Amino acid sequence: MSWTIGVDVGGTFTDFFVLDDASHKIHVAKWPSTPADPAQAILQGLRKMSRQFGVVLEQARHLSHGTTVGTNALIQRKGGRPLLITTRGFRDLLEIGRQTRPHMYDLNKDNPPPLVPRRRRLEVHERINADGTVLQDIDREQVEDLLDSIDDDVDCVAVCFLFSFVNKKHERAVAEMIQNKADRRFHVSISSEVQPEFREYERFSTTVLNAYLQPVMAHYLENLEQGVLKALPRARLGINQSAGGLMSARRARSFPVRTALSGPAAGVVGAVYVARSARRANVITLDMGGTSADVALVRDYRADVAYERQVAGFSVRLPMVDIETVGAGGGSIAWFDRDGLLKVGPASAGAEPGPACYNRGGERPTVTDANLILGRLSPGGLIGGEMELSMALARQAMEPIAAELGSSIEHAAWGVLGIVVSNMVRTIRTVSVERGHDPKGFSLMPFGGAGPLHARDVAVSLGMEEIVVPLSPGIVCAQGLIVSDLKEDFVISHRTLVEKGEEKSCRSIVEELLGLANEWFKSEQIDPDRRHLELRLDARYVGQNFELEVGIARGGTLDPECMPDSERLKELFFEAHETSYGYFNPDDEVEVINFRLTARAGRTLESPSGPSASRSGQPQVAAVREVWFEDGGPVETGIVDRGQLQPGHEITGPAIIEQLDTTTPVYPGDRAEVDKAGNLIIRIDGNQE
Amino acid sequence: MKDLDPIKLEILWNGLLSITDETFVVLTRSAYSTNIKERRDHSTAIMDRNGRLVVQASQALPIHIASMSGLMACLLEKFGEDIQDGDLFVANDPHTAGGTHLPDVNMARPVFSDEELIGFMCNIAHHADIGGMAPGSMAGGMSEIYQEGLRIPVIRLFRRGELQHDIMDLLLLNVRIPEERRGDYFAQIAACRLGSQRLLEIFTEYGSDFLLAAFGQIIDRTEKRLRRALSEVPDGVFEFEDVMDSDGIDAFDIPIHLKLAIDGDRVHFDFSGTSKQVPGNINVTMNATQASACYALKALLDPDVPNNEGILNVVEITAPEGTLLNASFPSPVAARAHTCQRIVDVVLGALARALPDRAVAAANGANTTAVFAGTDPRTGNGYLYLETLGGGLGGRPTHDGKDGVQAHITNTSNLPVEAIEMEYPLLVEEYNLVEDSGGAGEFRGGMGLRRVVRPVDHICSFNGVGERFRHQPWGVHGGLPGRTGRFLLREDDGETTRLDDKPGDVKVKQDQAVIVETPGAGGFGSPRQRSPDRIEADRESGKFSEQYIEQHYTP
Repeated sequence: MSWTIGVDVGGTFTDFFVLDDASHKIHVAKWPSTPADPAQAILQGLRKMSRQFGVVLEQARHLSHGTTVGTNALIQRKGGRPLLITTRGFRDLLEIGRQTRPHMYDLNKDNPPPLVPRRRRLEVHERINADGTVLQDIDREQVEDLLDSIDDDVDCVAVCFLFSFVNKKHERAVAEMIQNKADRRFHVSISSEVQPEFREYERFSTTVLNAYLQPVMAHYLENLEQGVLKALPRARLGINQSAGGLMSARRARSFPVRTALSGPAAGVVGAVYVARSARRANVITLDMGGTSADVALVRDYRADVAYERQVAGFSVRLPMVDIETVGAGGGSIAWFDRDGLLKVGPASAGAEPGPACYNRGGERPTVTDANLILGRLSPGGLIGGEMELSMALARQAMEPIAAELGSSIEHAAWGVLGIVVSNMVRTIRTVSVERGHDPKGFSLMPFGGAGPLHARDVAVSLGMEEIVVPLSPGIVCAQGLIVSDLKEDFVISHRTLVEKGEEKSCRSIVEELLGLANEWFKSEQIDPDRRHLELRLDARYVGQNFELEVGIARGGTLDPECMPDSERLKELFFEAHETSYGYFNPDDEVEVINFRLTARAGRTLESPSGPSASRSGQPQVAAVREVWFEDGGPVETGIVDRGQLQPGHEITGPAIIEQLDTTTPVYPGDRAEVDKAGNLIIRIDGNQE
Repeated sequence: MKDLDPIKLEILWNGLLSITDETFVVLTRSAYSTNIKERRDHSTAIMDRNGRLVVQASQALPIHIASMSGLMACLLEKFGEDIQDGDLFVANDPHTAGGTHLPDVNMARPVFSDEELIGFMCNIAHHADIGGMAPGSMAGGMSEIYQEGLRIPVIRLFRRGELQHDIMDLLLLNVRIPEERRGDYFAQIAACRLGSQRLLEIFTEYGSDFLLAAFGQIIDRTEKRLRRALSEVPDGVFEFEDVMDSDGIDAFDIPIHLKLAIDGDRVHFDFSGTSKQVPGNINVTMNATQASACYALKALLDPDVPNNEGILNVVEITAPEGTLLNASFPSPVAARAHTCQRIVDVVLGALARALPDRAVAAANGANTTAVFAGTDPRTGNGYLYLETLGGGLGGRPTHDGKDGVQAHITNTSNLPVEAIEMEYPLLVEEYNLVEDSGGAGEFRGGMGLRRVVRPVDHICSFNGVGERFRHQPWGVHGGLPGRTGRFLLREDDGETTRLDDKPGDVKVKQDQAVIVETPGAGGFGSPRQRSPDRIEADRESGKFSEQYIEQHYTP
């Protein structure tokens, strides 16, 4: 017997998802988080599962772990005390950034101050040219002097030189000198290893963030290993990263910045898994919780990857699951702006005091209050939940909005829902139409506590025809962890013209990448039959300064010969350009900027076991209440317990499907069907809207 | 007009914003030149059929707000009923087509549903060259607009869906690096087309009556919102004057004078007393003056107010024709951004007295421009690298000014050093803040930037535009002025000579380097009030010298 365990540590709860590798049985649990020492909650939760479900901890093979330790350290500014060593003439580059203001008109909004204060940003004499040749050798004596005078409280060092992505010699030399210092130990991050890509500010910023997080992550992992791993002696620890996929603890220590956006990434990985079980290759995910909603686009079972993002106000350039976040959640507050228009969010009542209907002191009207008023949420609260929702308080909170609009409370509530939906629609447009993809060809996959409540209106606004509600929408993230692969991204930035005669140099770069991946496979002890590789290029028209990703090849093994000749490469680029921008110019020159190779250790996991029996026909209706599906008025609606649904069951709206972690309305005329994996597939009635 | 349902209106507005944002991204991504792709020197908008600005992309530049309206006024006057489905108009001329300077190329595409004209999809992009005497089309020293580049009146680039190849050929023949410009033109065209398609989709969803009424109400609500904010400002007449350094030819110490009158919910900007238009290229046409006044008002009163015609309606301006701020033909205007920045400072200066606790000191007041051009010795091809550099933003009521940022009407990114060196035969030796450049104060002014650039293996030509290179950015409420900017030429032995403030065609040899130092900004409040913590931070950061700290903060 063996087990795979996913543990997702959130601010309030630590979620567990345990898979029995042999029987494919799943167990799910929650335990209150222990922010001071997250390992405590993990241990306690695991022991509980051990007692409750007979999970034998000693036989756990994998512990896949999602942590917000890095994200929180950034947001709360509780990282290490970094030093920056950089090229002479560029100590302020980190502070200047791209010389832009964060808000065009608000003179009082500022960029956050750099994580390295100016006096700890040191310049050394050295310079590498754009072609990688050395213009000025590094002044080792000067570096030694600098290192001797480092403040006592500095515990991490970022080394960032211009053009180190072409030639890492100088950064390496300084890193070595730091590590060779007999009297002091530092965590060291060098930009040519953290993210060896062109564009210095983003590379430097990413490297500084990495250095800043190194002491925190090292401390955290030490605790984790001493506490948790002792209880799981056979388990391999995998840490979730922002690009989706896991990394070993060793790599997480070296590259903690890769965990900075890992939380939502696990959700998307989980969503891909659900998509496979539902056989829907193209989905748009909508993960809506209490304060915000994350959306992402999945094509052919693969999430798009983005390379640039702000995290806690700082620029990060790393592969990350391309997720957009909008301040739209169940707790989002409705308010009137100065021009008299109704807005919803981004301010949120959060979990405390929460929506007015929670009866915890919240007085402002929220999305959840609106859902309750319209009968979409049960006054009894969630099934199995202990909290009742107060209709009276919800109506009282919504009253001022209705008064201002001169309308009924229900119309006001309907308006609140319409606006929160339009905010999410706008965000989905940024991950779809703004990237050249029409949402019409996708299924919408809502999850998180509030996602399914709003999915139908979102889908209709985007012309989407189908909604896939996962079996357990509340634990898609933890589920994502156990289905994640061990994964590593390699990049070599090398500007190469796409023309005859350049093939050789391209192939030698690919060979170098393959070498790096091989080393990684070996160091992570991954068997050859589990290896997967994927080669992509960032290319652009000569003169453009914006690259486009072009997929080249994937497979268990790759050969440098997989690099196509220049004609074929151009064609691939033109196709990508056509998709993204709707045109291409066949006569213009194309160049490659980055060569990227993703290596992963495949895990073959079966689909999750859904409800066992298969039925046909209509499920039992547990109750009836008045529910609003349109502004005009309510209709008598049957309430169905999702726990009672079996594959094959069909429901024609109107209906409300309630379960432990979410509520799903089925609109009049829409048809919902439970698929084999237990997912709810809702087809929107084409005759409506 | 009956009020539309504010909920439905909000949702529609969201949809319209989505369109402008999407077209903005498409233009960013599909353009060829760095100026658009990396620096985002462009804007997109939806105009109604009467030429009023309805929605602008959230990343649109403030300077572009009035330019689109200007273009539309000229377009409607010239073509009136003769606007057809599939037409696409292009223009850039400041004197006849509502532009603000020639490199900003405007496009407008009418959107029809059946036979009905609904509105226009518009965009503006700053082309890195539009012809004329100097590479980059921004250099000083010219005295007529003809010298600044190709003038495009409002003309059809597409007629009923057909590209007018003859016109495109003419446009491209008159600019440097035409392949790149062609890419930028097509990116603009693609953005217009996509936006039109999206607008039609929304039109189909909401219907003609609602959509057209909504356009009006969006503008209306914004106007009312801004007027309400204005009515909270004390009534009065507030005067302020600032002085521009020079026009790059022979005018010096050029005054901009403002008498700002606030009366209830009305505001009137009277720029009488401002200099006559000047021979050099810092003149401003009325549209750009209006855009600058709008920006300043919005920044101080309500930064989140939406950008549309409603704002333009609030701002009443008197600027006599033939003056610096309402220049007439054939005055050159390429460097109008510097003057626009100064208009903002002047408005902020006047409002400092009306709103003392929201006052902001003068910013670097310029768009310090540096252009390097020559022949790349590696390829034999011509190259042109243009950049505008940020500087200080003024001290604020509760915070120091911002260091090294684009001020006010512009917010374009810098070009990465690694991009410059990969792309051009240039070496960047330094990119830092300028020590001691922020004016002292309780809240000090922001700092200027220094960039040191050297040609590699060839002789290059440098031209530039500097403002606040002689007249310092002033402080407010007792704050001291910030440091001025300057261009220097450094010899291989380290000796430096100061260049003109608006130099044209300086030959820079490979052992020489150009040093660009942009101005800092003024401080807010008396330096005596500066807290010991802040003084210590100035010292510790090394942004200010001991000498400076002693001089300004020792009691």
